Amino acid sequence: MLYARAWRPMVVRVPLSAASRPVPDPFERLFLQEYPKVVAIAYRVLADRSAAEDVAQEVFMKFHRSVSPDSEQASGWLHAAAVHSALNVIRGERRRARRESTHALDPSTPAAVDPQHLVEAAEQRREVRRALSHLPERTAAILMLRYSGLSYAEVATALRIRVGNVGTLLRRAEGALRKEVNRATSD
Amino acid sequence: MRHLTDGTLRRIVDEPLAVTAADQAHLHGCLECKSRSNGIAGDARATATMLMVPAFDPDPARALIAVQARITRDEAARPRRWYERWIDRSTPRLRPLATPAIAVVLAAVLISGVAVSGAAGQLVRIFQPSTIVAVPVSPSSVPGRNVLLDYGQVKWLPEAPNAQPVTDPARAHELSGLPLLVPASLPSGVSGPVSYGVVSHATGSLTFDAARLKASAAKAGVRVSPMPAAIDGSTLIVSGGPALIEAWGLSGAEGQTQVPTLVIAQTRVPTVDSSGATNAQLEDYLLSQPGVPPDFAAQVKAIKDPSTTLPIPIPKGFATTETKTVNGIQYLVIKTALGAGVVWVKNGVIYAVGGQLTPDQVLAIATSLH
Repeated sequence: MLYARAWRPMVVRVPLSAASRPVPDPFERLFLQEYPKVVAIAYRVLADRSAAEDVAQEVFMKFHRSVSPDSEQASGWLHAAAVHSALNVIRGERRRARRESTHALDPSTPAAVDPQHLVEAAEQRREVRRALSHLPERTAAILMLRYSGLSYAEVATALRIRVGNVGTLLRRAEGALRKEVNRATSD
Repeated sequence: MRHLTDGTLRRIVDEPLAVTAADQAHLHGCLECKSRSNGIAGDARATATMLMVPAFDPDPARALIAVQARITRDEAARPRRWYERWIDRSTPRLRPLATPAIAVVLAAVLISGVAVSGAAGQLVRIFQPSTIVAVPVSPSSVPGRNVLLDYGQVKWLPEAPNAQPVTDPARAHELSGLPLLVPASLPSGVSGPVSYGVVSHATGSLTFDAARLKASAAKAGVRVSPMPAAIDGSTLIVSGGPALIEAWGLSGAEGQTQVPTLVIAQTRVPTVDSSGATNAQLEDYLLSQPGVPPDFAAQVKAIKDPSTTLPIPIPKGFATTETKTVNGIQYLVIKTALGAGVVWVKNGVIYAVGGQLTPDQVLAIATSLH
């Protein structure tokens, strides 16, 4: 008899329910959790919905190829990739020109809103994005991450800085943006 | 009195509870800091207005479908990785061994000879190899056609193993948790940068399901014996990895067919847990499944201590094997027309060294690794 041999099995007892529970795919789980933030970061930079969705898709494709969804750095990686990718887009002159021509008016805005106001708001967004594209990368990144709704801790993780420095850098970045917008409007 | 920094005041605007009670108390009682705080809050509001965008409510579920479609397209168009090309080129006669039936039989091998607890809802560790043995298989007895039978529900806990190439050795070590192995010296003909591959740890379960097997056998036009009631519904949990692979001789351009001159691989030993069915029932049933070469089944049944022995199928005529003992460790040396390999188990890790080398060369590398 094969099983009558002297042998002492190592016994590990775990509840079977742990084995039969449906388990979501880690990439899907991370995607559904982080996509709203990633697209919000890109949208805050670009002020353009379809361009923001394009950037978010590219970010997740790159993530899928190079980072494990179980990595502790996954969320920080996604936030950093989103802001840097979106900033790269606004730095591209030709793309920016195309975007401005197609998004001077926001098609989803209610028709009752004054068209003159819409034109002015779109013009202001263009001015601000132009100013943003002239700021140093980290300065623009910290502004966009924070104003997309990330906490100070999340901003610190994405930019690999100490959380205690976020306030100081953010304050300087706000001053730099104001200065750049004023310089552009006075030119 | 030290006043609060601009950074602290800026954070108080957004996250007032994140600063210390002392800083909050200072702000409450300091007119100068209050005034600066008001200015900073005003600047923050002005910036928020500048950076305002129209409302946008994205649809993550729709976006996920689009990304998954791109991943599927990309993976279909992806050039085959070096190890996939290498397996295809060097072991065409071994491919039939990868049939699902063989995989199930291997599970049976691991279980045979072991007393399994019958207590429902509990798992018993039934396999943890500490030695390896070659099991010669006649290629002519291996079915040429894969028989894809569905034995039940397979689940990954939490996910299927994934393999990824890594260029940085430190990263390969970090991802796998296994030490990088370095030979004392390399034979002539083996040189160049080392490529690394890491396979993640994975745990999978198979819950036997007689109805699913019957349906899949009918669909495939295969006759199978009915699954015993004691096996139907019982679960096997197999755990394996992580694994770390180091390969020499792959420095050519991507897409170009390459065969490594030397590969060193290591993985933690797999383990198997079972619930319900007894070892005798599993062994008799699984070894009688379609696709299992009779000579393989007979030799598996003859293994002296299957609970701690990992059988490695060796196709007769394709490879020969020899066991060598060095410093108390048993090495299984495999010789083929393409080169040689050596496999051994030590301290809960399975090691393999192989390449376009002689048996003496691979054994010398294996015994010199540090």
